[in-house]
Amino acid sequence: MAVCIAVIAKENYPLYIRSAPTENELKFHYMVHTSLDVVDEKISAMGKALVDQRELYLGLLYPTEDYKVYGYVTNSKVKFVMVVDSSNTALRDNEIRSMFRKLHNSYTDVMCNPFYNPGDRIQSRAFDNMVMSMMVQVC
Amino acid sequence: MAQCVQSVQELIPDSFVPCVAALCSDEAERLTRLNHLSFAELLKPFSRLTSEVHMRDPNNQLHIIKNLKIAVSNIITQPPQPGAIRKLLNDVVSGSQPAEGLVANVITAGDYDLNISATTPWFESYRETFLQSMPASDHEFLNHYLACMLVASSSEAEPVEQFSKLSHEQHRIQHNSDYSYPKWFIPNTLKYYVLLHDVSAGDEQRAESIYEEMKQKYGTQGCYLLKINSRASNRASDEQIPDPWSQYLQKNSIQNQDSYEDGPCTITSNKNSDSNLLSLDGLDNEVKDGLPNNFRAHPLQLDQPSDPSNSIDGTDHVKPASSLHETKKGNTGIIHGACLTLTDHDRIRQFIQEFTFRGLLPHIEKTIRQLNDQLMSRKGLSRSLFSATKKWFSGSKVPEKSINELKNTSGLLYPPEAPELQIRKMADLCFLVQHYDLAYSCYHTAKKDFLNDQAMLYAAGALEMAAVSAFLQPGAPRPYPAHYMDTAIQTYRDICKNMVLAERCVLLSAEILKSQSKYSEAAALLIRLTSEDSDLRSALLLEQAAHCFINMKSPMVRKYAFHMILAGHRFSKAGQKKHALRCYCQAMQVYKGKGWSLAEDHINFTIGRQSYTLRQLDNAVSAFRHILINESKQSAAQQGAFLREYLYVYKNVSQLSPDGPLPQLPLPYINSSATRVFFGHDRRPADGEKQAATHVSLDQEYDSESSQQWRELEEQVVAVVNKGIIPSNFHPTQYCLNSYSDNSRFPLAVVEEPITVEVAFRNPLKVPLLLTDLSLLWKFQPKAFSGKDNEEVKELVTSQSAMIGTEVISEFLINCEESKVARLKLFPHHIGELHILGVVYNLGTIQGSMTVDGIGALPGCHTGKYSLSMSVRGRQDLEIQGPRLNNTKEEKTSVKYGPDRRLDPIITEEMPLLEVFFIHFPTGLLCGEIRKAYVEFVNVSKCPLAGLKVVSKRPEFFTFGGNTAVLTPLSPSASENCSAYKTVVTDSTSMCTALVSSASSVDFGIGIESQPEVIPVPLPDSVLKPGASVQLPMWLRGPDEEGVHEINFLFYYESVKKQPKIRHRILRHTAVICTSRSLNVRATVCRSNSLEDEEGRGGNMLVFVDVENTNTSEAGVKEFHIVQISSSSKHWKLQKSVNLSENKDAKLASREKGKFCFKALRCKEKEAATQTSEKYTFADIIFGNEQIISSASPCADFFYRSLSSELKKTQAQLSVYAEKQSTEDAVRLIQKCNEVDLNIIVLWKAYVVEDNKQLILEGQHHVILRTVGKEAFSYPQKQDPPEMELLKFFRSENTTVSSRPSVEQLSNLIKTSLHYPESFNHPFHQKSLCLVPVTLLLSNCSKADVDVIVDLRHKTTSPEALEIHGSFTWLGQTQYKLQLKSQEIHSLQLKACFVHTGVYNLGTPRVFAKLSDQVTVFETSQQNSMPALIIINNV
Repeated sequence: MAVCIAVIAKENYPLYIRSAPTENELKFHYMVHTSLDVVDEKISAMGKALVDQRELYLGLLYPTEDYKVYGYVTNSKVKFVMVVDSSNTALRDNEIRSMFRKLHNSYTDVMCNPFYNPGDRIQSRAFDNMVMSMMVQVC
Repeated sequence: MAQCVQSVQELIPDSFVPCVAALCSDEAERLTRLNHLSFAELLKPFSRLTSEVHMRDPNNQLHIIKNLKIAVSNIITQPPQPGAIRKLLNDVVSGSQPAEGLVANVITAGDYDLNISATTPWFESYRETFLQSMPASDHEFLNHYLACMLVASSSEAEPVEQFSKLSHEQHRIQHNSDYSYPKWFIPNTLKYYVLLHDVSAGDEQRAESIYEEMKQKYGTQGCYLLKINSRASNRASDEQIPDPWSQYLQKNSIQNQDSYEDGPCTITSNKNSDSNLLSLDGLDNEVKDGLPNNFRAHPLQLDQPSDPSNSIDGTDHVKPASSLHETKKGNTGIIHGACLTLTDHDRIRQFIQEFTFRGLLPHIEKTIRQLNDQLMSRKGLSRSLFSATKKWFSGSKVPEKSINELKNTSGLLYPPEAPELQIRKMADLCFLVQHYDLAYSCYHTAKKDFLNDQAMLYAAGALEMAAVSAFLQPGAPRPYPAHYMDTAIQTYRDICKNMVLAERCVLLSAEILKSQSKYSEAAALLIRLTSEDSDLRSALLLEQAAHCFINMKSPMVRKYAFHMILAGHRFSKAGQKKHALRCYCQAMQVYKGKGWSLAEDHINFTIGRQSYTLRQLDNAVSAFRHILINESKQSAAQQGAFLREYLYVYKNVSQLSPDGPLPQLPLPYINSSATRVFFGHDRRPADGEKQAATHVSLDQEYDSESSQQWRELEEQVVAVVNKGIIPSNFHPTQYCLNSYSDNSRFPLAVVEEPITVEVAFRNPLKVPLLLTDLSLLWKFQPKAFSGKDNEEVKELVTSQSAMIGTEVISEFLINCEESKVARLKLFPHHIGELHILGVVYNLGTIQGSMTVDGIGALPGCHTGKYSLSMSVRGRQDLEIQGPRLNNTKEEKTSVKYGPDRRLDPIITEEMPLLEVFFIHFPTGLLCGEIRKAYVEFVNVSKCPLAGLKVVSKRPEFFTFGGNTAVLTPLSPSASENCSAYKTVVTDSTSMCTALVSSASSVDFGIGIESQPEVIPVPLPDSVLKPGASVQLPMWLRGPDEEGVHEINFLFYYESVKKQPKIRHRILRHTAVICTSRSLNVRATVCRSNSLEDEEGRGGNMLVFVDVENTNTSEAGVKEFHIVQISSSSKHWKLQKSVNLSENKDAKLASREKGKFCFKALRCKEKEAATQTSEKYTFADIIFGNEQIISSASPCADFFYRSLSSELKKTQAQLSVYAEKQSTEDAVRLIQKCNEVDLNIIVLWKAYVVEDNKQLILEGQHHVILRTVGKEAFSYPQKQDPPEMELLKFFRSENTTVSSRPSVEQLSNLIKTSLHYPESFNHPFHQKSLCLVPVTLLLSNCSKADVDVIVDLRHKTTSPEALEIHGSFTWLGQTQYKLQLKSQEIHSLQLKACFVHTGVYNLGTPRVFAKLSDQVTVFETSQQNSMPALIIINNV
């Protein structure tokens, strides 16, 4: 069960960010923003040649006291960041990976919408619902 | 970690230096005090050795010590209080702020460019102070006193005595169990005896002799004579001497003052304070006896009023706690070392060197050697055995230890003289004298021992120092053991719970890691130490961690920013506002403008708050402004909070400078390009039956089409006024300026007429905004009435209403996320140039309820309803960008904007102002209905008005009557049933014949040259006096087309006085008329065949008029009565009605159709000759008993208008056509004979039931007949387009218009008619041939001579036709050739011969005609379409 899911554009501004406990939104924003450094680091750590065949899933970006932050980068350098409650031990790497894959699929659907202007904030209800389902449902 | 001034290789040795205690007698202290320095302070600048020092290590190797520094400090008897340390550190940090002009270096990381101060001096001074203020502890010896200086003065009575006293005292402090503090390195501390001698005051001889005595007693190496104060302090000022103390003392000045008793400055041997010049207060008296009060608390101890020793400030006064700041100030002005010459400086330097070389270092060397010997001797025993035996003997300790561990957390405690500690002692000594190799091996050994013993605190200390000395080893034989440090930190923190030691460890380790570019490890280390117990430390460490992130090889900008924010947060918790603000500002650079709006808002909000508390109000305001300006994603409550905070801050700002310029407010947004300016009064609403002209108002939406129409109308009227030419400087009058209007010129406003400015506000927030006292801000430059230029330019403010009156809107509420316009008025009372600058208002919000809807829209009606929580006065400027210029090349290639002068009107002199009211103006009419209404013209200004004209695109819609009073009925009192027409009662006998009258079109304003659209209004005196009003009748005729019509009237008027700036003014009116269908009139004209009327020589015509009631009964029309049909023509007139049906009234119910037939005659020739071409003859045929005089108003008016508009329409079509024809005269002539210019006017009455009342409406329709035999309509009917269009394929036709006239046209050239008896009785049995005389009448319809050929031979080709016609033959001449003159009638006598009875068609003669003077012959048979039947009977 994710606590916060964010989609970050290539230029590192948020396309979509939603967190489950809405009262503490600011904290998650900071957390996601800071995680971008780690994402950058992970991407740049890979050699140029490896970039093509690299895996999109970046794994655990960093843990904090209460949360774990996972990352995923699409080939177009759009970043997905997921914050997960660290007390939730049911979530293993594989589950996170599949959640990211779902997110990616849904994101692709949004991009396919001819009325969506790339670079705008995502305001798709379908995407919303999918994100909500990932935040609520225990994978 | 930020860059530091010191490298780590300098930092660590400087942090751990040999400590020397100083114990002074009162007298000696007094001597140094003359320089405002204590003894320890006096030595401080010179405590670093300038030369290298040599020392022999235990193995007799020569060891070189570079840059050795010693720390001399006064003896302090109490350990520092943690609270005091905290306070000191706080002060140090807050005292060290980034320099103002500090050049921040720019770091570019990815797409971020950050301005970051490279150094963090506050951190360095914190670190320095922190390390200095470390309390001495038992497990390490680095800051234990190695030696003690005993200082006495030569001026003392018994100096030698004094020395022994001091020596005793030192001994007592070290060995008496009363004093657990300070710590001493080894039991027999080195004592060094110093005799201070005041050169300027003391006796040199005596000093020398005392020194000799001392040398004998303590040996040459154990004592020193220090000569100072070579000049008297009172004459110090004339010579500038470098002040080496300032850099040491200044730095610590706050520390000195705030901690009250910083060692060097205040430790006075005040035993003899009564002899001292400082004996100031009573407290001193109780400290007199004895030494205890010699020994002060640690410099960092908190002020305890009960502690007597605290109460004396060394220098000049007793310092009460409250006077802190004064002392601080006072202290900065003090010149240190005023009595010291440069020679004295050298002497002191020499003294330190002497002390170090002869006293301290030999002592250390000796001590090391001793310790080494001890260790070596113990080495005989096996190490393990040693520890095993120890364990054996102290076996009981082991279980105790575990308990101790829990209790004590530091594990085992060794007694001070324990053998394990000796090795540590030796290690520390080696470390102090920079012998790091030896130190490392000792530490390493000690570490093993301590670990074996599970003495965790000791082990951690050893680990720490082992790591440091390993790092510092020259040549770096082994890598830096970072894990040692980690273990040490962990042990300190988790097991020993000693955060101070852990912190020292982290500071050292981080610095070392940084020097090795291991930034991420350093950052991790620093972050790990942040904890809840100290905000200041956490803040500083977080900041350093942030700097580590940014300094990494690939800078981690966001981590930097985030940790900066955390640091800022901790700083603010620690009360370090400036640092907090700085941190937030630096973090802001990263978050700014990247779309992370929540974070950005948060930072801005914090910056705003911090700036506010630091009284940096401008920054606060701009930060808060940022939150509000951007499209915020915050919740409404949050926005409300932001807004309140902002207002609060703003209020404070404005209170600070009440006289300053009004601040610019960020809210609400103003869409300045949507600003509209309106000149003139508001429109008066309809007043009873009076309906004011719509004119222009702000309520009207801009419509480019209509504005173009108005412009054209104005151009038309101006052209008429200026005799057909539009003046070059003409610009259309603009009453309402908006973004579409031409704003490149200064608009003109008239004095005493209001100027309304509509400002478009938008509230971007989710909380309502309340603006109060909203008004315009302007600048006015009055112009004197005298002609010469008045140089004086007055800048006026809003408060002066003598020149310009300003309307104030008391309350204006804008709901959440609402766009709303405010209309603000100015009343100019003086001519000049006005500049509207902006709006000024109080910005506030509504307390409490968020759900204020609509009701707030009406300002003024609920004053004081909202409790204003807070409001600030401010302004917003209106700056309107003009249109982008795109004319010249330069303008095209660059982006340039033209001026927009909407808000800079010029106030001009008075002009007349017209108001127009319409009385009884209908909203609905039947098509063609005539209605009478009244127009009232009022001049509301103080100037007379002249030249009133009205212009409209639809002049056929209305009329003011003819030019001459005879033709216009007197304006009667308004009455509903009174007919709009001028009528005359006639007797019923004359109803069949026409009554003839005539009128000229010029009388009705339809001239040739004048434009029909421009109609002068017949004002009685042609001038309207100020205040006067005139009512004029006006007739309206419903447009022929069904539907809603918008008809624009433009009233034009001028001032009697000529004004240079405004020549004329205009007033607009748009009338909306809804018309419904009434009658549809169709008429045809054809030549009459009858010739019996000799009057009409060949010119008789028949006119058929079909009238259909097309009205649908919805309009309540019961029936139409045709009351009169009139003709109007230059050449024709109706003569009489033919076949008048018995339906005399000609009623037409719904969807009924009636047909009328009239005979028309050519007017008499002489009449036609006398008439001017514009004279029309009107002939009325009446069906009722009243004659409507059709040649008078309004009937004739409308007739002429419709005629002219019709002409205009057709002219456009004909113009092309006509040109071609002009070449073909012949064709024209032929055509001409087909033309007829008869116009039919159908006058009707409609009976309408409306609200159970019967009304009679009147109206008229016009049909214009032009061509014989062609149908004409009152209004061209629209064909309902069929659902599906039938597709037709055809070849493109030859577009060349045949120069030949059509057959039809030619066939009308000659009119033929046969006259014969309808039935003829002939006795066939008597005579087999029947001869019938037939007369063929030929009449020439054209105006030219025509050659006619009549051919009687049968040319019927089809046998069928022959069958029908039967057979008869013409007798006699079968072909006639004639020439007919213009309009001549010729009759031919023919004979027809029949052989049978029957019915025959006589219409067989074929007539050919051609124009006789024409070379080319158009010979066409004249159709004789009508069958002429004759019945031949046999009798």
